[in-house]
Order: sequence, then C-alpha cells, then structure tokens
Amino acid sequence: MKILIIEDEPSLNKAMVDYLNHQQYLCESVNNYHDALEKTEYYQYDCIVLDLMLPGGNGLDLLKELKANQKNDGVIIISARNELDDKLSGLQLGADDYLTKPFHLPELSARIAAIIRRKSLQGNNIIRFEELQVDVLAKTVSVLNKEITLTRKEYELLLYFLVNKNRVLSKNAIATHLWGDDADITDNHDFIYTHVKNLRKKLIQYGAGDYIRSVYGMGYKFSVK
Amino acid sequence: MKLFAKYNRINIVATMLVFVAGCVAFYFVLRYVLLRQLDESLRTEQTEILFYIKEHNQLPEVVSDAYNQRITYTEIKGPLPPVTYFSEKYWDAKENEQEWERKLVFGITAAGKNYRATVTKSQMETEDLLQMVIIIGAGMLALIMLAGYVINSIVIKRLWKPFYKTIQEVEQYQLAKQQPIQLPASGISEFDLLNQRLTSMTEKAQRDYTVVKEFSANAAHEMQTPLAVIQSNTEALIQDEQVLQKHNTSIQTIEQSVARLTRLNQALLLLARIENRQFLLNETIQFDAIVKQRVEELMELTASEKINFQLQLTPVAVAFNHHLADIIVSNLLNNAIRYNKEGGTIIVELTPERFTISNTSVLPALETGKLTSRFYRHPNTKPDGNGLGLSIVNQVCEMAGYVLHYAYVNGLHVFSIALKTA
Repeated sequence: MKILIIEDEPSLNKAMVDYLNHQQYLCESVNNYHDALEKTEYYQYDCIVLDLMLPGGNGLDLLKELKANQKNDGVIIISARNELDDKLSGLQLGADDYLTKPFHLPELSARIAAIIRRKSLQGNNIIRFEELQVDVLAKTVSVLNKEITLTRKEYELLLYFLVNKNRVLSKNAIATHLWGDDADITDNHDFIYTHVKNLRKKLIQYGAGDYIRSVYGMGYKFSVK
Repeated sequence: MKLFAKYNRINIVATMLVFVAGCVAFYFVLRYVLLRQLDESLRTEQTEILFYIKEHNQLPEVVSDAYNQRITYTEIKGPLPPVTYFSEKYWDAKENEQEWERKLVFGITAAGKNYRATVTKSQMETEDLLQMVIIIGAGMLALIMLAGYVINSIVIKRLWKPFYKTIQEVEQYQLAKQQPIQLPASGISEFDLLNQRLTSMTEKAQRDYTVVKEFSANAAHEMQTPLAVIQSNTEALIQDEQVLQKHNTSIQTIEQSVARLTRLNQALLLLARIENRQFLLNETIQFDAIVKQRVEELMELTASEKINFQLQLTPVAVAFNHHLADIIVSNLLNNAIRYNKEGGTIIVELTPERFTISNTSVLPALETGKLTSRFYRHPNTKPDGNGLGLSIVNQVCEMAGYVLHYAYVNGLHVFSIALKTA
C-alpha cells in the first residue's frame, strides 16, 4: 500500500511517516506544492494525505489537477483550517475525507484504511487478524467463522484496534474516535475501560485470543503477545 | 438643561438688566429735561412780572389758573428771598390724589414793599409723559424678548437638527456590524467638523476591531499546526513502551493539555466565525430532531452517571443553520451534564416559542451578568470546561435574533432560548 504525505511542517510530516510506516504502509513524503505535483503525476498512490496550505500553492489546486488527470488516488485533506467551506469544497473537488489539525495519528491511520478499503476494486472488505474476521461492509464480526454480536461502539472500537494493531492507543485517541467532540463532556476514561473490558470478554468468550492489553494506564494495545 | 435654555436664561437676564438700567437712566434724563423746560416757562413768567413791575411799579393783576399756572404774592418784612426752583406735593381735590407741582420763588419790590412771589405750574403733564415713556419702554422690552425667544426657538431647533441626527446615528452604530457610520453634511462647519471627526474615529475603531478579530482567528489558526506537531510526536513517543513505562504520567499530562488547548482553540475559532457572520441562516431545520438526536447520543455517554433525562418535545421547524443549532443544543446539554450531580435530572422542553433545558447541579444559582462572558467559570467547577460554551450559545442567539435567558428555579438551573419560528 503506497501513501504520499504532503505536509510542509517537517516534524509533523516525519511523525506521520513514522507512524504509517509501522502500519505496513509504504510512505513517501514531500513538503511543497511543486514536488507534490511531480510525484502525483508520475506515480499512483493508494492514498494521499494532503495539507491545504503549502509553500508554492494551495492543496485544493492539487486536488483539481488530480481529478483533471483522471487519477483515482484516495485523498484525505488535513488542514489547520476548520472551515466548513474548505471542507465542503475539498469534498466537492473529490477528496475522500477531511481531518482538522491537530488529529490523533491512529485516527489518521483509521481514516486512511477506510479510504483504501472503499477504493479497492477487489471487494477487499474483509479484515482478518488471527482467528478474527471483520466484514466492514456487512459490519459483522466472526471468531473462528462463528459470528458474534457486538454493540455499535464495541464494533467501532474493534475496528479501530485492528487498523492500529501493535500500536499503543491513548485513551484520548480512543475517546475522540468513538465520541468525537463529545469526548470531553464526562470523565470518559472509565467509560472506555468498560467498553474495552466488554469487548475483550466477548472475544475471549467466543474463543479468540486475549489481544487487548492496558499499557501503563496510558491506553491500550491490540497485538498478539 | 439644554444649551439653548441655558443660553436663553443668561441672555434674558442680561437683556433685562440692560433694559432696566436703560429705562432708569432714560427716566432721569427725560425728567431733567422736562423740568428744565418747565423751569424755563416759569422764568419767562418771572421776567414778565419783573418787567411789569418795572413799567408800572405795582404788582400785576393775578389771573387765576391761566395756562395751568398760579401766581401768588406775599408781603414780607425781611429781606428779599433768593430765587429758588423746587417741586412740591399738593393735594389735588379734583383728581383726588397727590400731585407734584413746580414752584419758582423770588423776591420783588413794588411800591416800596417787599413781596415774595411764587409762580406755580402743575407737573402733572411731565409726570404723565414720563409714565408713558416708561410704559412704552417696558412694553418694547417685553415684545423684543418674546420675539427673540420665539425666533430663537424656531431657528435654533432647525440649526441643531444635524446635531440630533448625528447623535441618533451614533446611537444606532454597532462596531460588530462592520458598516461605516453615515453622517450627512449639514452645511454648518461646527457640525461638519464633528461628523468628520466621528466618521474618522469610527473608521479607526472599525479597523482596529477588524485587526483584533482577525488576530484572534489567525492566532488560533496558527496554533493548530504546532498543536498537531505536539500531538503527533507525543503519540509517536507512546509507541516506545520503555519511554512510556518511565514517563507515562508526564506523557498523559501532555496529551490531556494538548486536547484541552485544541478544544479551546476550536471554540475560539468558532466564536470568530460566528462573529464574522460566516454562517447563513437560510436552512429550515427540524429543531426537535436535532435535540432528540443529541440527547440520545449523550445519554449513552452519561449512562454511568445515572442522569435522568426528561424530554417534552413538540415538532418545531425553524429557519436556522443546522450546524449552529447543533452547537447550541450540544453546548447547553454539555453544561447540563458537566455540572450535574450523580442521579440528577435534566429536563429538555421544546415548544414553538421556546427551547428550555433545566438541570439539577452541584452549583448554586449563577451570576446572570457574568454567565455569557468569555472564560468565565464558576469558581467551584473543575477546570475541564473552557468557559466559552455559553458565550458561543449567546453569540449564536444574538446573531439569529434569539434571546438566551437564565433563571434559578426550585433548585434547577433553567436556560431558555426564545425562538423565532418559521
């Protein structure tokens, strides 16, 4: 899976590249409009992470170029501007998603995974992890080919874990993913604990391995031990 | 007191003083002149008498009351009296009042005898004339003052018109509306100067206001990227479990602070966008549906706190903005949840006129004046809110022409928004 990161802030660029490289993606990165245009003309990417304000040009223009050249790369816009207009024009121009800075890296990873799944022509809608199998179209989960019942939040949580497997996910990142802007209303950490506990219990109960573990009170990690 | 009234008061007093002084002076001058005239005619009489005596060496015959004058001769033993003029009062039986008369006394010698001659003329005519002069003077004073007052009040009212127009414009002027103040030229240089200065003053204020507003929006924007850098690097850091083991408290603190700063930043950006009127209010929205959806989402999130939600919703459609409606409903509900107590109650009511959220709370009644000021938080609250929630609600209401109202009734904090329904 090839990903192009277009971001002019070097340390943010590097953090994204590092994180996504760990997710078995092949990342390339550029930091200005000109380089970005060149790369996108010559190569095909599964997903492009696009910052809007770039030295040498606007990300939206790059998006127009892509569409004019009939490119089918997935595009996720990351912008410091939380402006509805930008979001709408970005999506209208053919971007697949829009993420406002600052964002959680696992969130970016989850969004990229979703875009790639949607774009893939082979109907690649099954995510497998050991004996676990998730059908993202039907939104069903099965363990050892036996379907199990999860609540909506548990399903979203499992999916989030699966696309960010082997990574430590902070409670904040999980809360933001599950509840968006409402995450800060209550002391949600207990709530996450409950959800994680329930999901883990269900998976074990149906014969899956114990993949979720708490990491120093900071968050959780989904991995084979 | 109006400027004109004050000016008038001074003016009238001064005019009156001048007129009174003038009248008094006029009275005395005129009286002096008239008496001199009277004395002149008395002297003529004296000359005639003396001439007669010189010719005939005897007293002339006394003609009584001729030319309104009396002449008397009194024989005296002593020396001749000096020539004296004087006024004297007498009782006029005919008019039944005291009158003044003018007398000339002189001594004469006729046929070897000394006489004191007195020529008397009535001063009545002089007094009458004086009286007329005074009456006419006073009348003129009154007339001039009255005319002056009337003319002034009409003219001055017209002259001040541009001033009151300016005052009215200034009164209606709002910095936030971003429209320059319109002051028509009056043709009077003082008022034109005032208008000119006011216009340049408001233009400057407008520029400063825009700069400040853009500054806060730009500052918030500029903070987004560094925040993203901190957040992503923190996330990269927590992937290293050895670092995490050692520093998990510090890292958690950083993460939470970044999250708080992010929310604060987003709230400030939202406020700036509402102030800049970047939202259009032309959508017809189903208010009850928005409320219902938000409440359901939040009920799930707050299940552990056992808050009792009571919904009384009637279908309401308003011309508004979906995003903004969502924001005000969320912010009010968030507050109702955040400051509630365990096992507390939240009552959400929606009628075509009014959207009301009442909730129990650990907090006592709030200070109405400070509620919507930015960054105000009740001193007893945990520092998790940013103190902008109600400011945002208030700002949205102001823009949409809704009215936010707060009351503390029977232990419930009641926030209500008076709606203008479509």
